Amino acid sequence: MKRRWIRRGVGAMLLAAVLAGCAGQAARESGEKDPPVRQEAVQEEKTLVFGDTTFNAENGESDINPHHDSGGWACIRYGVGETLFRFTDQMEIEPWLAESYERVDERTWRITLKEGISFTSGRIMDAEAVKECLEALVEANARAAGNLRLETVTAEGLTLTIGTKVPVPALLNDLADPYGCIYDVQAGVTEDGIVQGTGPYRAVALTTDTSLELVKNEQYWNGEPKIDRITVRTITDGDTLTVALQSGEIDVAYGMPYISYPLFENDRYTFTGCSTSRVIFGAMNFESAIMQDPAVRKAVSMGIDKEGFVETLLGGNGTPAAGPFPDTVSFGGDAVRAPAYDPEKAMQVLEEAGWTDTDGDGIREKDGTPLTIRWLTYPSRQEQPFLAEAAQAMLKTIGIRVEIQNTANHNQVRTDRSAWDIYVSTFVAAPTGDPEYFFAYHCLDRSGSNDGRYHSDRLESLAEEMEGTFDTDRRAELAQQMQQIILDDSAYIFFAHLRMNMISASNVTGLTAHPCDYYEITADLDIRE
Amino acid sequence: MKRKLILCSALALGLVLAAWFAEALCPFDPYEQNFAAALQPPSWEHWFGTDRFGRDMLSRVIMGARVSIFSALILVGIISVTGTAIGVFCGCSRRADAVLMRLADICLAFPGMVFGLAVAAVLGGGIQNAVLALAAVSWPKYARIARSQTLAVKNADYIAAARLAGDSFWQVIGRHILPNIAGTILVTAMLDVGTMMMELAGFSFLGLGAQPPTADWGSMMSEGRSMLQLYPWVIFTPGIGIVLSVAIFHLLGETIRDHMDPKNRTGRRRE
Repeated sequence: MKRRWIRRGVGAMLLAAVLAGCAGQAARESGEKDPPVRQEAVQEEKTLVFGDTTFNAENGESDINPHHDSGGWACIRYGVGETLFRFTDQMEIEPWLAESYERVDERTWRITLKEGISFTSGRIMDAEAVKECLEALVEANARAAGNLRLETVTAEGLTLTIGTKVPVPALLNDLADPYGCIYDVQAGVTEDGIVQGTGPYRAVALTTDTSLELVKNEQYWNGEPKIDRITVRTITDGDTLTVALQSGEIDVAYGMPYISYPLFENDRYTFTGCSTSRVIFGAMNFESAIMQDPAVRKAVSMGIDKEGFVETLLGGNGTPAAGPFPDTVSFGGDAVRAPAYDPEKAMQVLEEAGWTDTDGDGIREKDGTPLTIRWLTYPSRQEQPFLAEAAQAMLKTIGIRVEIQNTANHNQVRTDRSAWDIYVSTFVAAPTGDPEYFFAYHCLDRSGSNDGRYHSDRLESLAEEMEGTFDTDRRAELAQQMQQIILDDSAYIFFAHLRMNMISASNVTGLTAHPCDYYEITADLDIRE
Repeated sequence: MKRKLILCSALALGLVLAAWFAEALCPFDPYEQNFAAALQPPSWEHWFGTDRFGRDMLSRVIMGARVSIFSALILVGIISVTGTAIGVFCGCSRRADAVLMRLADICLAFPGMVFGLAVAAVLGGGIQNAVLALAAVSWPKYARIARSQTLAVKNADYIAAARLAGDSFWQVIGRHILPNIAGTILVTAMLDVGTMMMELAGFSFLGLGAQPPTADWGSMMSEGRSMLQLYPWVIFTPGIGIVLSVAIFHLLGETIRDHMDPKNRTGRRRE
C-alpha cells in the first residue's frame, strides 16, 4: 500500500514537472493568454489604466509637481503639464505652448505665447502666468536655476522676455525639460503634490507610490482628449506588471522586463518603442585608491562585453554604447572611440601595471592588496543587477574580484565615497537634445552628480567654451572632444543605450513612444470598447 | 519502523554528501557564464536547462545544495545549542529565568519572519547574516522546551541523589539533566531542519540571503521568477531541490520522533 502511494507521489511530481516545462513552450508558441477585456471599463465613460514601474518616490517622482525633484517627468508624461517648447521625433526643438521666439541678443530671448490656452484651474495662460511659474521654478529647483541662469523675466500680454545672466545657448532646450512644465502658480500645489497644468488631462487624486487619477481636460486647447478617466498605477515590480497586463488589470505597461516580451509578441498586444539616449553607465570613484590607478580603470573598461550584455541580457533591446550619446544625435554613436572588449589586452595592462596573481587564487594583487572593486548599483532598473552579475563573471576572468552592492538605498550610499569603487546607474544623457546637459550634470567640478569626483582641466576648459557657444556645429564638435577626454581617462564606462518600449492591449490606440521619453499620455490616446 | 528510519537516514545522508562533494558532482562550472547558451530548455547536454547567463542549472542546483543545506544545518545547530543552554540554565536558576525568559517572550511576541527581516535589514544581506537573523528569533523555542524539561526532571530522586553524592551544579546539568532532555531536543531539531531551510530560502528569495552569484536555491528561484511562464525550468529546478530536501528532513525528524516514542517502543517489544 505504502509503495503504491510513493509511486503515485513520484508520478505526480514528474507530471507536474513535465506540464510546467511544456507550459512555457506552449505559451511562447501560441501566444495564448488573451488580455481579457476589462469588464468594468467603459459602461458610460471611457477609462484606461496605465501601469508604470518608474512612477515612485525612489525615482524622484513622489508627485507631479514639476519643480520638485523629478516630478516634472510624471507631470509631462501623464498629460498634465506642457512646456513652452517640445522635441520633434528627430529631437529638434519646436514651439509648444509658445507660438514663436526670437533671440534678441546673446542674453535676451523674446517668446510669444499661443493664444487661447488656459490652465485646468480656469486661469488664462498668459506671459504673467508663465513668468510666475519660471520664477518659482528657479527658486525651488537648483538644477533648473543652474541651467537657465535667469536674470530678468518680463511679461506683457502674450510676450515673455527672458534675460539671462550669461549667454545660455541651450535655453530653449532647457525650457523643454520636464521641469519647465508651466502650471498655475496662483492655484498652487496641493498637499499631495498636484498642480494645474495646460495638458489634455487634469490630475484629481494622487497617492505617492500607488496611483494618480486623471480626468479629461474639457477645455484642452489642442484637440479633444478621447478618454474620460485615466488611472496611472505604480507597479514597481516587473513581474507584477507582466501579469497585470496579461490579466487585463492594466491596459498599458511601461517598464516591462525584457524577458517578458515574448509573452506579448502577438496580435493581442501592441508594442511602441524607439531608441533613446537613456544610457547605463558606470562612474569611477577617483577617491578610491584602487580606482585612482589608470590601469585598473582601463582594464575594467576593456573587460566587459557590452555586445553580449545587450544581445543576451537586454534581449537586443538596446545598443552597445561607446559614449554617453546614442547615434541618433550628430555628436553621438561612433563619433567617439571607447576601449573595445579585449580581455587579453586588459590582462596585459594590469600585468604591466604590476597587478599579478601571486597566490594563485585567480585574483591579482599588488603590494599585498587584492584587486577587488566594489560595484554599487540599484534594483529599480531591472537590467542593472544583471549587468553587475555579468561583469562580476567577466572581470573575474581577468583577475578582478567584483563585490556587488545592489541596493535601493544607492542615493545615500553613493555620497559615501569610501563605500564604492564604481557606481552604475541609468541616465537620460540628452533629454534636451543638447550635449551640455550630461557634462554639466555629471563630469565637471560644479556638477551636483559628479559622484566619483572626476576632474580634468581640459574638460573644464571645453565646458566653459561650450557654455558660450551658440553655433550648433561647434557645440557638437566640443561634445565629441569632451566625450573623448572622459573615455581616454577611463573615468566612465558607457555600457548600453536602452530601447524604450510601451506595451498596450491591442484596443489601445494613439500611444507612441518618443525618443526623449517625455510624451506618453496625449490627447491622441484612445481605447476602443 | 526501523526500515523507514534507515531509508530516511540514508536519504538525508545522501543529500548531505551530495552537498559536501558538490564540486565533484557538477557537470559544469556552476558560475561560468556562456551567453551563447542562455535560457536553453532541458536537454541531454544540460539536464536542467540553463539560466539567463547561460549557466548550467543542474550544476547550480547541486552547488546550491551546499549553501542551502549546510546553512540550515548550521542554523539549527546554533539555535538548538544556544536555546537548550539557556533553557536548562533558566530551569535551574530562578534569577536567570526571570530575565532570560522575558527576553524569550519578547522574541516570541514578534512574527518570526518579520523580526528576522528587520534583523537582516540592520545587519545587511548575505547568507551569514540571514542565519544570524533567523537564529536571533528562533532560539526561544528550544529554550522553552529545555526549560520545561529541566523543571520536570530537576526535582527527580536521581538528581537529589547525585547532589547528595557531591556533584556540583554544572555536573548535575552535564551528567543528569542534559542526557535526559536530549532526545526531545534532537527530535525538535531534526524537524526544524526542513523548516529552517524554507525560512532561509524565503530570505534569499527576498534578496536578504545569499547574494549573486552564489548558487542558493532561494535566490535562484528569486532570480527566475520573471521567467516562470516562459522558462519555467529556471525557477522549477531549484524548487524541486527545496521540496525534496525539506521533505526528506521532515520525514527523518518524524521517523526519529516515532522511533523514540516510548509508546511505539512498547508496541515494538510486544510485537
